[in-house]
Amino acid sequence: MSDCNCEQPLVPHIVEVIDIVEETPDVKSFYVKSAGGGLPYQVMPGQCSMLSLPVGEGMFSCTWQEGQEYQQYAIKRVGLLTEELHQIEVGQKLGLRGPYGNGFPIAASRGKDMLFIAGGIGLAPLRSFIKHCFKNRSDYGKITIIYGSRSYNDLCFKKELFEEWPNQPDTEVHVTIDNPEEAWKGHVGFVPAYVEELAPDPAGKVSVTCGPPIMIKFALQSLQKLGFEDEQIVTTLEMRMKCGIGKCGRCNIGSQYICLDGPVFDLTQLKQLPQEW
Amino acid sequence: MKILAKDKVAELLEKIAQQAEVYVPMAIEQGSGFYPWTEDNKNQPLLLDALNVYNSPKYILFPQTERMYDLKQQGQDLSIDQTHEDSSPRVIFGVRACDARALRSLDDVFLTRGFEDSFYKARRDNVTVIGNACYAPGANCFCEAMGVDLTEPEADVILRDAGNDGYIWESKTETGDKLTRAVAEFLNDKETKAPEAKSFQTQVDYDGVAEKLKGMFEHPLWEKMAEPCVNCGACTYICPSCHCFDIQVKMWGDSGYRFRCWDSCMYAEYSAEAGGGNPRPSGVERFRNRFLHKLEFFSERYGYSLCTGCGRCTIVCPAGVRITDIIKAIKEVDSSVGL
Repeated sequence: MSDCNCEQPLVPHIVEVIDIVEETPDVKSFYVKSAGGGLPYQVMPGQCSMLSLPVGEGMFSCTWQEGQEYQQYAIKRVGLLTEELHQIEVGQKLGLRGPYGNGFPIAASRGKDMLFIAGGIGLAPLRSFIKHCFKNRSDYGKITIIYGSRSYNDLCFKKELFEEWPNQPDTEVHVTIDNPEEAWKGHVGFVPAYVEELAPDPAGKVSVTCGPPIMIKFALQSLQKLGFEDEQIVTTLEMRMKCGIGKCGRCNIGSQYICLDGPVFDLTQLKQLPQEW
Repeated sequence: MKILAKDKVAELLEKIAQQAEVYVPMAIEQGSGFYPWTEDNKNQPLLLDALNVYNSPKYILFPQTERMYDLKQQGQDLSIDQTHEDSSPRVIFGVRACDARALRSLDDVFLTRGFEDSFYKARRDNVTVIGNACYAPGANCFCEAMGVDLTEPEADVILRDAGNDGYIWESKTETGDKLTRAVAEFLNDKETKAPEAKSFQTQVDYDGVAEKLKGMFEHPLWEKMAEPCVNCGACTYICPSCHCFDIQVKMWGDSGYRFRCWDSCMYAEYSAEAGGGNPRPSGVERFRNRFLHKLEFFSERYGYSLCTGCGRCTIVCPAGVRITDIIKAIKEVDSSVGL
């Protein structure tokens, strides 16, 4: 649960966009800081913020902030708000409120080997945890990243994926795309199948998965097949959200609200809840 | 004990209205509900004797639409000029136990679990609730089965109708004491007795239902029970405890405001995601979510049912869905069938 004690949790701060980076044809990263300078608030890896333009608000997982003077949000163009966000330019003011949600089990994962599994824009939330591990390299064991997208063009954070992360100590990065492409020499196929093919050893590992719901469902099955225990299987979920503070109702899975009690759940917790996500 | 004579009610309301907005149960035209005690409304019939009114007092603490803050956009600039927390003093007069319980559930939703909703809090902190104890439950009433004591509305003051002797006036909280002092001139001391509560016409057995539902998410019963439902959402709007809301914006050119408004889990748009997904794509899933929220999920989270047994949804449903039938069906069905 967030420890935010803000007096008006539904009223946003005003932030300014200081940089925009095109990650893929339909994903852009927005770098924001408070309109008065500095950070609007601290957000932990896996926590989310409600970003807004007059047209509407949307919940986005923070892609990176730790130790920086800005927050980064990598956002895919899919609907009304994100369509408008993709039109804005540097200098635009936005509404931002948060931080929301529980975040990744950073402390509980210390000393463990990390397995990150992501599909498409699902790498955006995981990236905050991945970069946290690299920043605190000695706290974590071997790091394995398995990432896939529809096509080469749709792979996010290519520079990190192909140049930076594979060169980190004790790190493996495995990338796949859904369908063959002429220039692509890497693996072709869906992420869950690739996970099973790579068959990472569950011993001493924590797995963290994010992607489209259907990918998450299959990836969790793959991990169970490989012998991962429920508490070693962590995922972060998303649903439509409006308030972000567990009041407006819509993001419930059973009695739990993704915005407040999640978005990060392990399989032990998910098994207590209805399969409705 | 303190007594409010029945012919003093209007004067008492008049006195309170000098300090606060007063809401009273009234019939106006085709409808009935809690209306402000204003010059225009004073001549309308007060419904203190009626079992309950059509519209609950929910909207006084949680308005159907509520302006939250003003927005201005100029070029790349965006500003929030003003927020609209409303802390006017208000008194709600004549709230039945079912509706008072619903206010408690709104309190739990909006004021607990990590975040206090500032818009709700501003209203809540400045409201005094005067309950009206029930002694003769109506045909659709089943509050007792849902854990509500009909004679003990959770309020600052409780009125008990002692017939010709007037209303017994019982202050229950400090806020109630404060109001009692302010209206002392209309209260007199006299010993009388509240009536005996009559028994319920609708018998419902909710005991163990929340626990039983834990294993019934995939039960075939949901499809059968949801069949008549047309997902119109009337039950959610009339419900005194349904608290779901949407956040929307109204802009005229560069300026406007963000507001929230009641929403309904009966609608596909409620949970439809920007990317095209929807975890509750059909009416059956939405129906199931609503009744599980009322009968299981809320009690898992807050310790009591979100249904207060007021019976309004049964009255408004155009398709004849009765939550009492649903509770009965769950109670009787073999929870392992079809799983």
